[in-house]
Amino acid sequence: MAADRRALIRGGLRALGFVGASALAVGLLAAAAAVTWPDYRAEPPSVVVQPAESRQQRVCPGPLLTLGADAAAATTVTSVGPADLVTAAEPADAVLEQVPLEAPGNAGGAADGTPIAIAAEPGGVDAGMLAGAQSQAVASETLRGFAATACAEAVAESWLVAGATNLGRSGLILLANPSPVAATVDVRVFGEAGAVEAPSALGIIVPAGTQRVLSLAGLAPNLVSPVVHVTSTGGAIAASLEHSVVIGLAPAGIELTGVTAAPATSQVIPGVPVPQSGGVEATEDHADGDDHPAVRLFAPGGDAAEVSIGVVAESGVGGGTIETTLPPGQVLDVPLGTLDAGTYTIRIESDAPVVAAARTTVGGAQGQTDAAAPSDLAWTVATAPLLDSAVVAVPPGPSPTLHLVNSGGSAAEVTVTGAGGERVVSVPAAGAASVAIDGDRVVLAGTQGLHASVSFIGADELASMAVQPPGPLDSPLQVYPR
Amino acid sequence: MFPRVTAILVVHHGGDRLSRTLDAIRAQDRTPDALVVVLTQADADARAQVAAVGASHVVETGESLSFGDAVRAGERVLDAPASDADALWLLAEDSAPDATSLRALLATLETARSVAVAGPKLVEWDEPGRIAALGRTMTRLGRSMPIVADELDQGQHDGSSDVLGLEPAGILVRHTAWQALDGFDPALPTVDDALDLGVRARLAGHRVVVVPEARVRFAAAGVAGPPGDGRGRSRRRRARAARAAALHRRLAYAPAWTVPLHWLSLLPLAVFRSVRLLLTKQPGVIPGEFAAALTTMFSGLRVSRSRRVLRSARTTGWSAVAPLRMQPDEVRRRRQAATEERKLRARGRTDELQFLGTGGGWVLLGAAVASVALFSWLIGSTGVGGGGLLPLSGFAELWRNAAYGWRDVGTGFVGAADPFVGVLAVLGSLTFWSPSFVLVLAWLLALPAAAMGAWFAASRLTERGSIRALAAIVWAVAPPFLTALAEARPGAVVAHVLLGWLAFAVFGAATSWAAAATGSLLFAAVIAAAPSLAPALIVAWMVALAVSGRAAVRLAGLPIPALVLALPLIVEQVGRGTPMALLADPGVPVGGPTPTVWQLALGLPSGGWGGWDELVRDLVQLDPRIVASVLVLPLVFAALAAVLAPGIRRALLALGTVVLGFATAVAATHVSVAIVGPDVVPVWAGAGLSLAWLGLTLAAVVSISAVRRGFALISGAVALVSIVAVVPAAVVIAIDDVPLAPAAERSLPAYVVARADSDPRVTTLRMQPESDGGMRATLEHGSGLTLDDQSTLDQTSTELSAKDEELATVAGNLASRSGLDPEAAVREFGVAFVLLAPARGDDREALQAEARAKTALDGNPALVAVGRTDFGTLWRFASAVPDEPAARIPANAGGWLGALITTVQVIVILAALLLSIPTGAGREPDRRMPRRGRGTRGDGGRGPSPAVGESTTEPDEVSETGSGPGPEPEPEPATEPESTTESEPVPEQEPEPEPEPDTALEPASKGDDDGR
Repeated sequence: MAADRRALIRGGLRALGFVGASALAVGLLAAAAAVTWPDYRAEPPSVVVQPAESRQQRVCPGPLLTLGADAAAATTVTSVGPADLVTAAEPADAVLEQVPLEAPGNAGGAADGTPIAIAAEPGGVDAGMLAGAQSQAVASETLRGFAATACAEAVAESWLVAGATNLGRSGLILLANPSPVAATVDVRVFGEAGAVEAPSALGIIVPAGTQRVLSLAGLAPNLVSPVVHVTSTGGAIAASLEHSVVIGLAPAGIELTGVTAAPATSQVIPGVPVPQSGGVEATEDHADGDDHPAVRLFAPGGDAAEVSIGVVAESGVGGGTIETTLPPGQVLDVPLGTLDAGTYTIRIESDAPVVAAARTTVGGAQGQTDAAAPSDLAWTVATAPLLDSAVVAVPPGPSPTLHLVNSGGSAAEVTVTGAGGERVVSVPAAGAASVAIDGDRVVLAGTQGLHASVSFIGADELASMAVQPPGPLDSPLQVYPR
Repeated sequence: MFPRVTAILVVHHGGDRLSRTLDAIRAQDRTPDALVVVLTQADADARAQVAAVGASHVVETGESLSFGDAVRAGERVLDAPASDADALWLLAEDSAPDATSLRALLATLETARSVAVAGPKLVEWDEPGRIAALGRTMTRLGRSMPIVADELDQGQHDGSSDVLGLEPAGILVRHTAWQALDGFDPALPTVDDALDLGVRARLAGHRVVVVPEARVRFAAAGVAGPPGDGRGRSRRRRARAARAAALHRRLAYAPAWTVPLHWLSLLPLAVFRSVRLLLTKQPGVIPGEFAAALTTMFSGLRVSRSRRVLRSARTTGWSAVAPLRMQPDEVRRRRQAATEERKLRARGRTDELQFLGTGGGWVLLGAAVASVALFSWLIGSTGVGGGGLLPLSGFAELWRNAAYGWRDVGTGFVGAADPFVGVLAVLGSLTFWSPSFVLVLAWLLALPAAAMGAWFAASRLTERGSIRALAAIVWAVAPPFLTALAEARPGAVVAHVLLGWLAFAVFGAATSWAAAATGSLLFAAVIAAAPSLAPALIVAWMVALAVSGRAAVRLAGLPIPALVLALPLIVEQVGRGTPMALLADPGVPVGGPTPTVWQLALGLPSGGWGGWDELVRDLVQLDPRIVASVLVLPLVFAALAAVLAPGIRRALLALGTVVLGFATAVAATHVSVAIVGPDVVPVWAGAGLSLAWLGLTLAAVVSISAVRRGFALISGAVALVSIVAVVPAAVVIAIDDVPLAPAAERSLPAYVVARADSDPRVTTLRMQPESDGGMRATLEHGSGLTLDDQSTLDQTSTELSAKDEELATVAGNLASRSGLDPEAAVREFGVAFVLLAPARGDDREALQAEARAKTALDGNPALVAVGRTDFGTLWRFASAVPDEPAARIPANAGGWLGALITTVQVIVILAALLLSIPTGAGREPDRRMPRRGRGTRGDGGRGPSPAVGESTTEPDEVSETGSGPGPEPEPEPATEPESTTESEPVPEQEPEPEPEPDTALEPASKGDDDGR
């Protein structure tokens, strides 16, 4: 009996011990999980490297060109008169140097001038405080209209969203290499049917300090909606695209378009000028021609993209939102609907990175007759957000207007200093503002995160010119030496 | 004339021995004519006893005198000897002469005028039938040897007469000779004093004899001669005194012109003898060896005094001594006898591991097959890469990188090496022709090696083959181990493999110096491979010290090699204020998702649910977390059940190890110290989990071995479930869907590697765009990074050196449009190539940074584009020339400090290595506790291996494999290492649950079986 009891007690104690140990284990786990243990985290050392001051440089594409003006040499290009070039820098007295680039393809280069590289002395101006712009109005048998372009930095990768090569349209790709080393350039063209096979456009050598001109039609004939992707190794390239239209026999506009913002899921096209009311509904299947406001979209990723296009008038009244789907690998021109005359901001949100630019025209009426043909067209490209300050060179042209778009959540006060003195412009949150410009130099302050462009609207002249921030090449870089 | 005999009695302590000695002196049939008692630091007892006998003189000194000095003090009070026949009888409190002793001694002196010193036969105090000493002599080389030691007295030596020397107790010496010889040499206070006296007497033309008829009981209490007890401390003191005496005699006896040579040889000899002492597992004697050499070398005038005394009394040549030296054949015979005895002892003591008998061979075979199945795609490749693996440098550079000096990583600096590089160097030396190949071998052999470690560790706890196999399986398929293998983490793999062996060695350390030294080396290797285990292992070591009683002597040195290897690193890290960085995993930092506590509890150190999430989602509607948890429960329950097994201490120690390991793992997830560009990599939690798994495994072994029926079934079930739990992880490895990959032999483009053939220091600036838009810029030399180049000192530094900042400036400007002279990269760092690695993933910021850098590098006229490679875009500096001065390693970078550190480290590691060589069989005293018949009681009868050979008749020789010390690293405090007389059995604390039915099958148990 006593032995039994002892065995029983012993068994009970053992069971208790086991339960106790299990409880202890669970308790330990709970403690480990429940208690917020302090973290020890080393701080990675890094150095923010401010690149040593170097020569800032902008490349102006030079005079407008025409293809095959000389019947004897139909494949050569010839300039049609000189372009007006203005430069601006902050401080205003910074020493600027204008270096003409070689333009061996241009038969008229000697008379009309060549592309110009504007350069400031190292340390002469801060990053982005150097600007140049050119404008040119032409009226010839084949070209008519007004084009204004900002001089751009040479970069390794550019997207040109403009042009057409169907009947009556022609396009020239201008590749300028201002750097001291030759550039090997690949030009890839995408159209409404997808990527265009153009092996001849790969591996183009652009010698140092030289501009080369390619015919877009030569690479990709009969495209309604081309998008051009320029990449270079070796030297960097400042690319631009000249787009001219002839309807019937009448020239119906010209534009020299710069580089649009890099692919992103969110793009802003500021200050799209719509001089006349009208347009084609976005749902219209056969929106042929180019006399209606439209936006050109392309998703380089190769996948379909759901895109939402917000069209907002600068005044804040009117506009709407267009939902559309980008087919994979194809370029899509989306008509912006019937719009009242004015200036519009186009905001694009997409689930995949896209490139975008908007096209508008002036003059002419609805219809496709010669007489009713538009007299000029303009491509307004998407821009990247500005730094806190910027300087804008304003070339001669009809009623130049600076458009500021604030995509941020709070209103921005921008100080605009032009020939007429200093003005403070308030740009409401998620809104836009515009300023008429006098003089050829505008200095902006307080523009952090804003988008800007300059439009020129005349009775039969239309042009738009982006104000892009400086490229990242001069910006500080965080370096981790471990 | 009637000779006058004065007995000089030296007394330290009173008591029984003294009174018996005094009685014995009084009881002499030829009583001494006078009794001089010398009291040295005597207690009151002794004084009272001495006062009672009425000595002729009592000399009292407050200081502790050696026997020789005490006798000298006693002799000083005597009158000058009246005749040549007057004699002194030197006695100590613990030397009780038989009644006829003095008569016999005196008779010898009287009959032979030539005899100056006569000594008695010393017999054991408690056992007068045993001879304690009968004269002393020396070999040709001067080594002091007893003529007879510890023999049963059967009258076999009663014919002895002339000897070279004696033991000091009980000798009768002519007073005139004593004065002429100036007594005992004060430089020989405890050992060889009487031998030296004999030698000098002999050289002075006298004879020295033993008189076997005179018997003196002698207790060796330390008054005359060294104390003779068996305690370790006394043994070490005795060894030191003997060595000091031998060296002193060597200098005193040597021809004058050889004395400087002997003097110079003392230290080198001490080093050589230390090596031998390590091999014979007597490390405790080494300090005494050096102390003896140093005190002899710097003993002032003692040697010259001894030489002067010897010379002044000397009348004959050394040839007079020669016939009495021990002859070489006798020396040889004694050595052979000792060897025989050692062999005899060793034979009874081999560990009965029963490797083949309990299925160890099958476990090894199974583990090897599993390893081949898992890594079949690795067989035949010459290297292995991915994850944290990089190639190893060549043999020479590998060892250079293991030492303090130039750390060839990044801009390079002088600093401490990670101890892990030492481990890599040892491994790489196995395949010295191609060190990188050893990594393939390591991965192929890791599984069997780990399984064997656990098997052997379990063999210390149980004799049942099935339970040993269970331990091997559970340990080899431990999730943290497989994860470390899959993620190519060399440190974690090494740590896991060695932890089992460490447990095995530490279990053995309780009884063996060789095991303790092996354990210390493994301890160092484990901590080197996984420094995050250091806190847990040190806590475990301290617990082990506390509970291991006498075995603590051998455990005390466990962390010494680890400490010596890590000390330079510790000093540098603490010195710069980043002590936490010591926990950083060595090698390439490999990041990963941080596991939750739940995942850690399942042994999953890399987030995820052991592959069950993917598998379960596709097959059944079950929460993968539940599946993964359920599959770990059997092992956990088996481990927790250890508290039910007899011997709660073992269970607590094993479960304590689990807690320590788990705490380490949880803490590791909260410590991020290794810096890779903008990221900080947390310490790998898997090492802690490995430790926890070891505890679980051992606890499960403890609990299952307590089960008497069905233990094989339980073992099988637990092992099976443990295997099932890791099936998804194993499949992923087997199809090579893991970071581990057959080698990319290089980490730089072939163009650079080709250049590195002719220019080994060719420098590449690697730029890696990071997700925050920043740029990681690092320098790589030669054909790319190697595993042994890596330095946690570099990885964990939160400060940038001036060179780092300069590198950042150069790299940042190269990646920008800049006015900085790009040639600065060549000038300052010897950069020949710039490699722009592609941005990882689709990170927009990183892509922009890449595009920016590419544009800038493309547009840089100082650079020539080489082109696109597998590793990124490559540029070449047009102006770079081979062997750029800026890329060279500075000569003698480590300086004298590096040489010193390396020397100390090499000495310590070599010493541990020598000590770990198992030459000690039979030399080390048998410290194992006799089998208590408890921990393995059920085993003998039912286990697959009946304890053959354990029922030997000698209880001292009973081999103990089963109830060894407790779980790692806390051995049971059960053993009494040095002394059997003082051994105190450690009682079990758990009550015995039930009477055992099969005690008859148990080996004979010694009397400490808890009395139950």
